[in-house]
Amino acid sequence: MKKIRLLYKSIFILPLLVIMGSCNEFLDVNQSPNLPEQVPPSVLLPSALIASAFANGNELNRFGSTVMDYTYGAGNNPGAYDIYNIDGAAFNNQWRFEIYGGALNTFQKLIEAAEPVGGTSYTGIAKIMKAYVFSLTTDVWGDIPYSQALQGATYPQPRIDKQEDIYKGNAGLEIQSLFDLVREGLADLNTTSTINPGVEDVVYGGTIASWRRAGYTLLLKLAMQISNVEPALAVTIINEVISANNYIVENSQNLSVKFGSSVGSQSPIYTWTYISTFQNDMMVSSNYVSLLEGLNDPRLDLFVTKPTGSFVTYPNGFAGTLAPAANRSKWSTVITGASGVGPVRLITNAQRAFWLAEAVLSLGVTVPGKTAQDLYEEGITASMTEAGVPEGDIDTYIADHALTGTTEEQIEQIITQKYIAQTGNGLEAWHDYRRTGYPDFPEHLNAVGIDGTRPKRAQYIDQEVQRNPNFSPVVLPNVRVWWDVD
Amino acid sequence: MRKILLLIFCCSFLAVNAQQRIVSGKVTSAEDGSALPGVSVLLKGTSVGTSTDADGKYSLSVPASGGSLVFSFIGSKTQEVVIGERSLIDVSLMQDVTQLSEVIVTAQGIERDNRSLGYALQTVKGSDVAQRSETNLLNTLQGKLSGVNITGASGGAGASTNINIRGITSFSGSNQPLIVVDGIIFNNAVNQTLNTLFGNQPTNRLNDISPENIESLTVLKGPAASVLYGSRAASGVIVITTKKGGTASGKTEVTLTSSVNFQDVYGLAKLQNRYGQGLNNDFNNTATNSWGPAFGGSLTEVTTIQGETVPYKAFPNNVEGFFNRGRIVQNGINIASGDKDKNAGLSISSTFQDGIIPNTGYTRNSIQLSGNNKLNNGLKIGSSISYVRSTQDGMPQGNGASALGQITRIPRSYDLLGRPYKDANGKSIFYNLTQNHPLWNTEYETLKSTVDRIFGHVTLGYDIKPWLNVSYRATGDVYTDRRKSVRSIGAARAPLGQITEDIFYAAEYNGDLMITASKNNLFLNGLNASLLVGQNINERSTQNTYTDAQELTILGFDNVSNGTVYTGSGDNKSLRRLVGFYSSLNLSYNNYLFLELQGRIDKSSTLPAGNNSFFYPGVSVSFVPTDAFDFQSKILSYAKIRGSIAKVGKDANVYLLKSFYETSTQGNNLASITFPMNIGGDNIPGFQAASRIGSNTLTPEFTTTYEGGVNVGLFKNKLSVDVGYFYTESSNQIFNVAISNSSGFDTRTTNVGMITNKGWEVELSATPIRTSDFSWDISFNWTRLRNKVVDIAEGITSSTIIGNTFGGLSPSIARGYPYGVIIATGYAKNANGDRLVNPNTGLYMPGVANTVIANPNPEWISGFTNTFTYKGISLAALVDVKYGHDLYSFGWIDLRSNGSLEITAKDREMPRVLPGVIDNGDGTFTDNYIQVSAQSYWQGLGGLATEAGVFNATTYRLRELSLSYSLPASVLSKTPFGSVNIGVSGRNLWFYSPHAPGDPELNTQGAGNIQGMDLNGAPNTRNYGFNLRITL
Repeated sequence: MKKIRLLYKSIFILPLLVIMGSCNEFLDVNQSPNLPEQVPPSVLLPSALIASAFANGNELNRFGSTVMDYTYGAGNNPGAYDIYNIDGAAFNNQWRFEIYGGALNTFQKLIEAAEPVGGTSYTGIAKIMKAYVFSLTTDVWGDIPYSQALQGATYPQPRIDKQEDIYKGNAGLEIQSLFDLVREGLADLNTTSTINPGVEDVVYGGTIASWRRAGYTLLLKLAMQISNVEPALAVTIINEVISANNYIVENSQNLSVKFGSSVGSQSPIYTWTYISTFQNDMMVSSNYVSLLEGLNDPRLDLFVTKPTGSFVTYPNGFAGTLAPAANRSKWSTVITGASGVGPVRLITNAQRAFWLAEAVLSLGVTVPGKTAQDLYEEGITASMTEAGVPEGDIDTYIADHALTGTTEEQIEQIITQKYIAQTGNGLEAWHDYRRTGYPDFPEHLNAVGIDGTRPKRAQYIDQEVQRNPNFSPVVLPNVRVWWDVD
Repeated sequence: MRKILLLIFCCSFLAVNAQQRIVSGKVTSAEDGSALPGVSVLLKGTSVGTSTDADGKYSLSVPASGGSLVFSFIGSKTQEVVIGERSLIDVSLMQDVTQLSEVIVTAQGIERDNRSLGYALQTVKGSDVAQRSETNLLNTLQGKLSGVNITGASGGAGASTNINIRGITSFSGSNQPLIVVDGIIFNNAVNQTLNTLFGNQPTNRLNDISPENIESLTVLKGPAASVLYGSRAASGVIVITTKKGGTASGKTEVTLTSSVNFQDVYGLAKLQNRYGQGLNNDFNNTATNSWGPAFGGSLTEVTTIQGETVPYKAFPNNVEGFFNRGRIVQNGINIASGDKDKNAGLSISSTFQDGIIPNTGYTRNSIQLSGNNKLNNGLKIGSSISYVRSTQDGMPQGNGASALGQITRIPRSYDLLGRPYKDANGKSIFYNLTQNHPLWNTEYETLKSTVDRIFGHVTLGYDIKPWLNVSYRATGDVYTDRRKSVRSIGAARAPLGQITEDIFYAAEYNGDLMITASKNNLFLNGLNASLLVGQNINERSTQNTYTDAQELTILGFDNVSNGTVYTGSGDNKSLRRLVGFYSSLNLSYNNYLFLELQGRIDKSSTLPAGNNSFFYPGVSVSFVPTDAFDFQSKILSYAKIRGSIAKVGKDANVYLLKSFYETSTQGNNLASITFPMNIGGDNIPGFQAASRIGSNTLTPEFTTTYEGGVNVGLFKNKLSVDVGYFYTESSNQIFNVAISNSSGFDTRTTNVGMITNKGWEVELSATPIRTSDFSWDISFNWTRLRNKVVDIAEGITSSTIIGNTFGGLSPSIARGYPYGVIIATGYAKNANGDRLVNPNTGLYMPGVANTVIANPNPEWISGFTNTFTYKGISLAALVDVKYGHDLYSFGWIDLRSNGSLEITAKDREMPRVLPGVIDNGDGTFTDNYIQVSAQSYWQGLGGLATEAGVFNATTYRLRELSLSYSLPASVLSKTPFGSVNIGVSGRNLWFYSPHAPGDPELNTQGAGNIQGMDLNGAPNTRNYGFNLRITL
């Protein structure tokens, strides 16, 4: 009956309305009841942080972990990564949905929403994280849209900025350096904010002091990334960080994104390891197991599963028949997080210690009261403590693996330990490898790629090449990025 | 039909003088002797004339010298009689067998004589679509219309059918024609519950009309024909008249129809039965491939992944045997009572279908009540109301985790049907541990839909003066579709289970006020004019509410309360309104020259306020030289030339003017999250900017058509040929232009681009033999259509069509190409077009991304029907051809790469060389000579989402075959039956597709703008059965 009434209502009243001249009112119904036109900062922050965790922890992690011998690619995409095959079809979703359309644009919108209301806690976090995600993006792809990016219809086809300009800034081209972007974020965090995040800050739960530490540690990370190509600038930045003395010093201060245990809330690392139909695409690599066995590392048994009682792994590039999926060694919940809660670790206390240790040796910076060995031990201890290695075993391990040999050999030790500490964060290990050449794994069996060597960058996604002429000509994955000098 | 008055010849004021005398008489039908009212009686060579009255009688003053009288009537052959000395002239008019002159329902239900139309349209009789072993009306039109491309999604029960008239005119809007049923704008939406890759194949809502209920159907092909319908008519209009009450005789007539049909899966690719599961000639119990050892060798037993020992042999029927024999039972009753002015009708019909896939089916039950009354005060009231309930039981399809995604990955030695597919706990047992057994899928992954639909109209009409009529028509069409999708615990795509209740609601109301005035002999004799002025008020609303329960607890409890996570729930509404004013002026001169001027102004809610009204006109001319110059001969009986120019505007979709935020999600089937997330016990909402940038400066899209044609009747109209040409330009497209993702967004809405369509339409009908007992009728149509995306937007050479696409495979709008080409990775080729081979491996060099690999648009389509009638026996066969288009088939490329296709077993032990060349590095090339194994060869041809999956889809098909027998009247005279007709019919009984391993008429994503892709959807069927038709 209701439908009939409606019908009559529409049919007999509507013409009257029109005749009475209220046509404009009758037609004024184009406001969407489905989607909001504005949203508060508090709902943008968690979206952007989770997207950042996906950028680091999802497909790019599968790529980094496989080319860096943490994992063996048994099929599908990881199978291709295992023989170094990536092209313009790879990382399409990462670029589009996790990075530019996800984390970066949402941090941008967060800044635009929080700035007018004086929400400097939000703008500060957003600027620091925006710098982090942009650095991830340029480290993977090299030259990328940066200064003209995220401006919607103003620049529908943004120009590409050089990686050098992105890291160092270029006043002539009005490019702000990543360092200045982080500094701007830190400055925001030092002013009083009208509004403050709580649980929606899925990293620190609203503890702004920890965000300041994360900001300074990010400066350290960025400086170390360019330390080969721009050592003097790196030293300046690192000294700025050391003198501020406000970086991450405890595991609890890690920039780690938390997830939940229910479907739709779970960490990507957990999902692709245990839940997804693609879970058998990857398993732990024999190369990784050999490295840790060689070091007699107690973390091996904690990080890697043994469904059959012993490790079932394959060397990267292996092309034969594999053991049944159920028997294969995978990451344990120490890496993936139990029942999906994560976290996805973006910047950790252990990494901080290793960066400083490396800086002391390679750049000659001084950390008050700390030698390179001290910092190296701090890194190992931070990693082992988080993994749950008993204190006594940590001490034994440190005693067995003290820094020794030439500076270069010591740097190799530091990066190797950093590599182990970064298990589950393959991307960061790939950055380190390209920068330092460590750990010195041989090339994979049956490697193809462009020239049989580990990829040195990712290729721009086909869709962007199609949509934006600035992406041509395509740079192939065997070309080094700016900071990757021998 | 032909007895309906079209032109009212009234007020013929004739001066009678002394030299004149009166001639009178009666005009009857030659077929049944009934009186023919409204027949035009004209004194030849003058404008003196009259028309017959309700009893078929006329009287006319003629010169004493006599002369000739010309009797003409729509649908009848014109007859010329010399008066001589007679004063009483009775005439019986023959029906015009080739229907060159027929009353046709045009836009807004206006009935016109075909000869007066300056544009092409085509009609189909109800008997041409009824009892054709098919439930979907659109499928029954295949091969019968020129300028129209119809493609069914598959043989799945209730699957939708795509129809495009004269190509594609809109980049991203609907390109399906507007459907009008008895004056009611009829929703033909395809509502998707899951995305189009992974969902079932939901039906198109026109399926709520049974083919058995059709009286007639008119296809208005271009804007000139459809301008009065306004903004949705750019893609053409299908005007459907259903069976209703009212017969000329005034008797009550009852028609019963009944049919039973069977469906068998048909057109599956042929598979090999010589090699079993494995890779590189080794058995592997988890391989999806059949590159294992040959049967009949040393390997006779193998161990499954479950640890059971089973024979190693071929299971030839393990794919085809998965499908059931489907069954369609249709019954209907139609009661018509009363005469032309006062009548009532009742139609009840029911359809039950069991699909070819286990646990799928379709039902449709409808009831329609209609009536007309002319009151004593002259007020005419007409109304009809229909209720339809239709249900569809489907299941998910698509690549990977679905039954149809697995059915292309069944190793030839896998006993799919002979072993248990689930254990005691209801868990799937399958060789692939991360996927489900296809039979498990059909039982535990279901998608059911129940539609309740009500539609109807009320029409009031009143003749203020004999020449002035005013009418108001109010129509409504409302439906709800209650869907339930169940993925039980253990489903590969939702391992923890997922249940979705998904409710669609759609309503459309229209009010049309129409004033028509007509005047004959206006200003000069023989010039007749009619003017229509109308106003349309339109409101359309939709709502989609969905409750999505994930992480189920209890197996087998298929209720959303079984879930623990509901983040996928939500709702979507839309409301749009439009006010239109339209007018049409028709002028005819001596029934051989016609001019029509049309125009419409729309004011739409979806365009920016203040700039939301737009005007579009049409003009068309028709000229019948055989009448004008009177040069009919034995060869040339009739000729007509037509031409028209018209434009139709199209408003925007709802809510495109602004940018929005939306709930955040990340990821895909590898890993994903959906806000609100539950982290540490806190529910945390998350939003992000929606990927589209809105525009508050949108203006309407416009489609302009130029068309012309010639219609010639030869040999007393035993042969009729109609040739038409059209050119359509659609510009100012409202389009979400793809922008660089680094802008932070994916698209921005703006007016851009142009798409053109040009084509030839040929229709031919002939009656080579016609005797009193035997006749042979031929009907032929041929269409050649060229569609071209002329321009998209500045700097944009291609853009993906909106919809769900498979990774690396983009149905696209590409500048310089026809609409809908598929862009993916193509072979690397040299300048000669030879494929480049890697000299180290003998395999192809890495492919080239962003290559146009397939074009789903046929070069031409044609249909050819032969009907033979001998006494009461009638045999009709329709063969149709679609020529020169491509199909991208995920299924076939999968079957080929995994060694299942028949061709992959041929000479498998022999080494092979991939066709291609090796670059010598100096600008010269050597033919590839490097031998590879059969497995490397077939896999090396190319994998999924590459050019290797493209097949030429040219198909010749015996679309319909029907044989029927009408019992002779002599037998029936002693029974209560008026007529009894029994028959057998078949569909898709045979096809020939020279370049494809199976039937290429597949379109997994169903009706919509994405065409030409088989992405693990249902296969086609062959239908055949029995029909019965009785009238009382």
